[in-house]
Amino acid sequence: MRALVIDDSRAMRRIVGSILTDLGFEVREAGDGRQALDALEAGGKEGWVPDLCCIDWNMPVMDGLQFVSAARANPGYRQVTLMMVTTESETGQIVKALAAGAHEYLIKPFTADAMRDKLAMLGLLPEGVAL
Amino acid sequence: MSTPISELLDAETVQSIADEVWPTLVGDGEAFVPLPVAPPAEAVSAWVDIRGPWNGSVVLTCAPATAAALTESVLMTRPPTVVDDEDVKDALGELANVLGGNIKSVLPGESRLGLPQIGSAPPTGSLDDVCRVAGQWRGQFLTITVQGAAVAPHAERIEEKPL
Repeated sequence: MRALVIDDSRAMRRIVGSILTDLGFEVREAGDGRQALDALEAGGKEGWVPDLCCIDWNMPVMDGLQFVSAARANPGYRQVTLMMVTTESETGQIVKALAAGAHEYLIKPFTADAMRDKLAMLGLLPEGVAL
Repeated sequence: MSTPISELLDAETVQSIADEVWPTLVGDGEAFVPLPVAPPAEAVSAWVDIRGPWNGSVVLTCAPATAAALTESVLMTRPPTVVDDEDVKDALGELANVLGGNIKSVLPGESRLGLPQIGSAPPTGSLDDVCRVAGQWRGQFLTITVQGAAVAPHAERIEEKPL
């Protein structure tokens, strides 16, 4: 399994990346939505397409919602699961993200168990990882 | 003038949000304890702005050494790894961001959260538009302040109009 972690905070990229690595994911990082689209394009050329993108909402240059819309508009990324990982916890924001094409939503702060549960629900736990 | 934060939020709510944020972001068994200690000679703040029916900032303030220790804890670094200034800005900013996002969610109406900023705390508005929880982390001074903007954004725009 492969994951792209998109967050302008290095600390949060490290935390999310560490959880995913422990679960057996191969992880790459991007600091904003624009960088993430570039990473997807560059990855595609070398055959590295993520199974999962973990996306912060509030980022400079291109925010998470704009990234979700852009990624959903590209048929080449149809198989990529988009999960918002953000402090934006109001119902209206969650609806907005899901309407834009996000598959799942994880609110900060979260525990490693909460992330594992979401991934299990999405069928994205690598083989051999206990539920 | 919008409703002051003291009518929208209380210290118990801020503390309950901190109670959730500390163990998940700072580390297992870590807690922000609402027992004030003497403020340090030098302080650093990280904050996020909230814009909406209520305008202001969520500000986290502590001594530089506490900020560095918080960063080490957030990043789970172990000696000999040393955190640098960028790590501190980033980790403290993310802590303010998560606190701010959760505080925003309990305010009425739709609001927007700004990106984290680091430095000297922004000026406060009126005194009744402040909700502060003074406390400590690992025995060191730390405060979480939810404070109204010194000047409302619409007022700034009006003042910028040429006469």
